[in-house]
Parts: sequence; structure tokens; C-alpha cells
Amino acid sequence: MSIIWIVLGAAVAIAVPAVATAWAQSRIGSAIAASMAEKPELATTAILMIAIPETMVILGFVVALVILLKAGGTG
Amino acid sequence: MIIAMAKVRVMGPRDRLAAVLSAIQDLGVLHLASPAAGDVRPAARDTRQERERRQIRRILDDLDWDLAQLAPAGGNRASAEGAPACVRWARTARRVRRTLERIRAETAAIEEEKALILKYRAFFDAFRSLLEAEQRWPRTTAYHVLLRPGDHDALPRLRQALATLLAGAFELYDRPLPSGETAVLVVVPADGSASLERLFQEARVEEIPVPAAYGGGSLAKAIPEMIARLGDIPREVDALRREREGLARTERPELERARAFLNDRLAQLDALSLSGVTTHAFVVEGWLPADSESGFARRLRAACGADVVVSVEGREEWSSAEAPVVLSNPRLFRPFELVLKMMPLPVYGSLDPTPFVAIFFPAFFGLMVGDVGYGLVLGAVALVLRWRSRPDTTWRSVSEIAGACALFAVLAGVLFGEVFGDLGARWLGLHPILFRREDAILPFLILSVSIGAVHIVLGLVMGAVSSRHDPRKALGRGLTAAMLVGIIVALLAVVEVLPHAFLTPAVIALLVAFPVLILAEGVTAPIELLSALGNILSYARIMALGVASVMLAVVANQMVGAMGSVAVGVIFALLFHVVNFALALFSPTIQSLRLHYVEFFGKFYSSGGVRYAPFGRWTDGAGRRAT
Repeated sequence: MSIIWIVLGAAVAIAVPAVATAWAQSRIGSAIAASMAEKPELATTAILMIAIPETMVILGFVVALVILLKAGGTG
Repeated sequence: MIIAMAKVRVMGPRDRLAAVLSAIQDLGVLHLASPAAGDVRPAARDTRQERERRQIRRILDDLDWDLAQLAPAGGNRASAEGAPACVRWARTARRVRRTLERIRAETAAIEEEKALILKYRAFFDAFRSLLEAEQRWPRTTAYHVLLRPGDHDALPRLRQALATLLAGAFELYDRPLPSGETAVLVVVPADGSASLERLFQEARVEEIPVPAAYGGGSLAKAIPEMIARLGDIPREVDALRREREGLARTERPELERARAFLNDRLAQLDALSLSGVTTHAFVVEGWLPADSESGFARRLRAACGADVVVSVEGREEWSSAEAPVVLSNPRLFRPFELVLKMMPLPVYGSLDPTPFVAIFFPAFFGLMVGDVGYGLVLGAVALVLRWRSRPDTTWRSVSEIAGACALFAVLAGVLFGEVFGDLGARWLGLHPILFRREDAILPFLILSVSIGAVHIVLGLVMGAVSSRHDPRKALGRGLTAAMLVGIIVALLAVVEVLPHAFLTPAVIALLVAFPVLILAEGVTAPIELLSALGNILSYARIMALGVASVMLAVVANQMVGAMGSVAVGVIFALLFHVVNFALALFSPTIQSLRLHYVEFFGKFYSSGGVRYAPFGRWTDGAGRRAT
């Protein structure tokens, strides 16, 4: 397979979840900031809520790595 | 661990209730609970007590406000008179509050006046000679305006408009001010002032008003008075500060004593509503640590006499959800109770995960940072924080957690052979004991996911233990843990890390366990199992952050040679390391917390515990009490 497709596949594997995570975090961030203005004790929940979508980009990172490794190593 | 609690019932003659409550308050160990219904009814507060309670709340409102405003003073001690004088305290608190409000208002007014004068001073300095001459010009009117910063065309436009309006019969002087504004003085014949004012109004040019305190007349006359006033302001501010300090010295000790007494009295009145009475007897129920039960009973009998009876309720008479929770951990683990304090408390009877948090939290942090250099810097930060914090405070706990994280970061740094990225290898010839994170991404991923598997299986085992009173739930958690182990063994056998002989028994065990799991946990069990597998993969974030951390450090080091000048490169490299260190403090902390709160606690943690709050004498946040 052409190296360009491998690299492109890895890039898409991390880029799409990254955009999705950013979108999710922007929505959660604004909502939780509004909630914390009224209930500062929600700080722990805020940390969790913000950190939860990051799983997507981390798994995307792992998939990108797998694509690169399966295609002959990262160099 | 969550320490064992005992539920006790104190009974005695009804007329002794107030005295017994006072004795219980002195002992300070009983967490009061409403007595079970039956023949016992709540001992309601009477009208006088309700009024007293409202009065105390009002006085405490004033007292808390006063004491928040007054700095701690080592001055006079409170008068040690016997009977507390609530009325006098109320008057004192109100008087002190009024005085402090006046001091605050006067200080704010003076500061505002000072800011205004300083603004005028710039104008005065710019036009000193012209303002003095202004008074001597006959039949003219002077206007003083400020043009906003940034509008460079405003002045030419103003000059053009004046020329058109007054046919050149005006004088205009301008000076830039340090604030960026432009000070403008316009002198026009007295008969042209009306049309000029109209022009200013239409153009929305703001004329500098003369403050009413300075006569409201000519600015030329007011400004020298205002400048002279600047000299008096520091003296007045100092006088107000001394008045406030004097108040703190003379009144604070008495106010602190009043606050302690009134809070105690308020707690007694609140405790009344948690007590039960019958026609002739009272009942007070509550919780206390099981090991202090006998001492409590002995001391209460000694204080109140033999007609007051203390009995212990059997474990079968109360449920875990009612009992308050006290965490008690060894000194080494205690700072990590802070991680639990950010969550609702675990319910009584469940497991306290603090010891596991104390091991895994710094371990995850260390694996993500994994650098001797960053670890040592974090250790230094932790030492400074510890030195600057008081014992038993949140900051002291944070410093101790940071110390443990620093230790693990150094240990991981030794395993990965990293000191500020690749400087350890380049300068010190340091070799990794485990692997180099920047090269060995796959082994690091396997290590992270393996740690995740251990953590999740541990969480499930803890879930099975804490659900021991619900056999189906306990069986479900235990089977999920066993199936995860089976899946891992099968996978390891497939990739030949384990002998191939393990594969068949592992698959058979999985096939047997699966229907039992569905029987125990219902049809959602497969989803739970998949969710647990997803949770294990989530630990890949340890690898992701670790690789990002080392890559940033390596890039920082490469800046030294990439900038042309070595000095500039070193500065950029240091800046980059500072940024990476800041990221290394923030991101691994958040991700470690997340791995605990979501992945680990989700397997066993039962929140909803009631915080143990014994009925006792009032102390301030630092545990001090005025005497």
C-alpha cells in the first residue's frame, strides 16, 4: 500500500476524534462553567466531564499508532 | 479504612435534657440523629427558644462580618466574666460593624478622590501656565476636554469645527497625557460659548467636570486645591488604618469569645430538635466511633449521674446508609483522603479506596511525567509548599501528594533513562532500565494497558467485596473480574506470550462464565463487560501523555542548536521546559484523577455517605477556640 495512504489513514484516525473531542469539550466546558457559577462544589464533576471525551482522541491516537506500526513501523 | 461506628441511645428524666445535651456537647464525640418514631416525639423548641435562636443568628451574622474584617490581634484578652451578656454582645457587634462600614466607606471615598486628583494632575501639569493665565484673560470662557486615546483624527476635526463655528476666534492648546488621552484647552470669547457648548454636545465631546467638593467653579481654581489635598490623603488613610487596628486590638478578643459562646448555644438549640421526649423522659440518639463508646458512657454517667442511661443499639437495628462515615488511614496514606474529599463520601460499610489511591495515583502520575529532572523540580515545589503550609490543611495534603508524585516521577525517570528529556542520555550517559519512551511506543502502550487491566480487575474485586451483602451483585462483579482475566490470558496465549496450552482452558472458562454472568447481572452484563474492556483501553492515556511529555522535552533540547545563537536557543529551551513542566503538573493530575474517578471507582464506589459531625464545642476552621 502506498505510504501516502498509510500516513493519511493515521492522520484521519487521530484528526477526526480530535475534532470530535474538541467539539464535545467546548459544549461541556461552557455548560459546566455555567453550572459552576451557581454551584462551585461541582468542580470535581467539571474535571470529570471535561476529561471524559478525551478518551476518543486517545483511542484515535492508539489506532493511528497501530496503523503506522502495522504498515512497517514508525521509524 | 472506614472506622466502625456504634449507635448509642441516651435516656433520662425529661427535665435533665438540657443538662445532658450540654454534657454531650462537652464530650464532643456524638453525631446526633433523630430518634426512631414510636412513643417518642421530637423535643420541639418553645417560642422563647425560637426567638433566641433567631436573635443568635442575627448576632452571629454581625460577629462573623466583624471578625472577617478585623485582622487577628494579640491584644487584650476577653473579659472572663461569668454570665455571658448576649445583649451587650449584640450591641458591640452592631457598633463594631457600623464603625467598620464607615471606615470602609471613607477609605473607598478617599481612594476614589485620590484617583480623580491624579487624573487631574496630568491635565494640570500639561497646562499649568495656561490655566494660571486663563484667569487673567478678560471676557473669555475656557473649556477643558479629554480626547480618547487612539482617535488620531479627533483633534484636527475639532480644530476644523471650531474654525467653522467661531470664524477663527478661539485658541486651542493640546498635550498628550501619559494615559494616552489628549488634554485639550479651548479658550473662546464669552459670546461664543453657547454655540461651542452645543457643538461639544453634538460631537459627544466630554468636558472635564469640576468636582462639587471643590466649589464647582473654575477648573483653574480647583486644580491647585486638589493638588494640595493630595498631601493630606495619606495621613487620612493612615488614621483610618490605625482606627481599624485599634478596633481589632480592643474588640476582637471579646467578639471571638462571643462567637464561640453563641455558636455553642445555637448548636444546643439545634440539638433540641434532634432529641426525642415522652411525657417524663428524653431520648437522645447518635453515632460515635465504636472504640470510644465505653469511654463516652462512663464519662456521661460521671457528668450526669446514674439516672441517665446509655445503651448501645444492635447492628441489626440500623442500616449502613444512616451511619456517618469517618475515614482513618495510616499517616502515609492520609493525604490522599483529599482525592476522596472531592467526591461524595463512600457509604458506611463500603470500602475506603484511599490506600489504593495512594499507590496508583502517584504511580500513574510518575509514568506520565517519567523524568528525573521534572521530578526533582516538582519535589522542590512540594517541599516549599509543605514549608509554607500549616499542618492538617488542604495545602499540606497537596504538598504531600506532590511529594509522592515527584518520587514516582523520579523513579520512572530512572526506568526510562530521562533527565529533562534526552539530556540524561546525552550528558550523563544515562541508559534506560526499562525502555526509552520516545522510541518504544508499543511497549509503553502495552505497559499502560496492562496496568489498566490490573487496576480494573482490582476495582471489580473490591466491588465484589463491598457488595458481599448482595450475593447476586457480588457474584456478577467477581465473574466480570474473572472473565477479564480469562480474556487477557486467552489473548496472551494467542500472541504466544503465554504457552498456547492456556488458550483452550481460558476459552472454556469464558464460555461457562458468560451465561452465569447473565443470570447474575441480567442482560446488561455483556455491555458491562465490554465497558470494562473499554475502561482498560482508556489507560492508554498514560502512554499518550508520557510520549507527549518526552517529545516536548526532546524538542526543547533541540532548540539549543536550532536557533543559530546558543544563548537564544538556551533561553527558548528553558522556556519550553517551563511550559512542559506546567503541562506535566496539570495534565497528568487531571488524567490520573479521571482514571480513578471514572474507571476505578466506577467498579466499586458507593457514594452517599454522611460526614461524621459530632455535636461539640465550636472551634474556628483551624480548630482554635476563644476562651
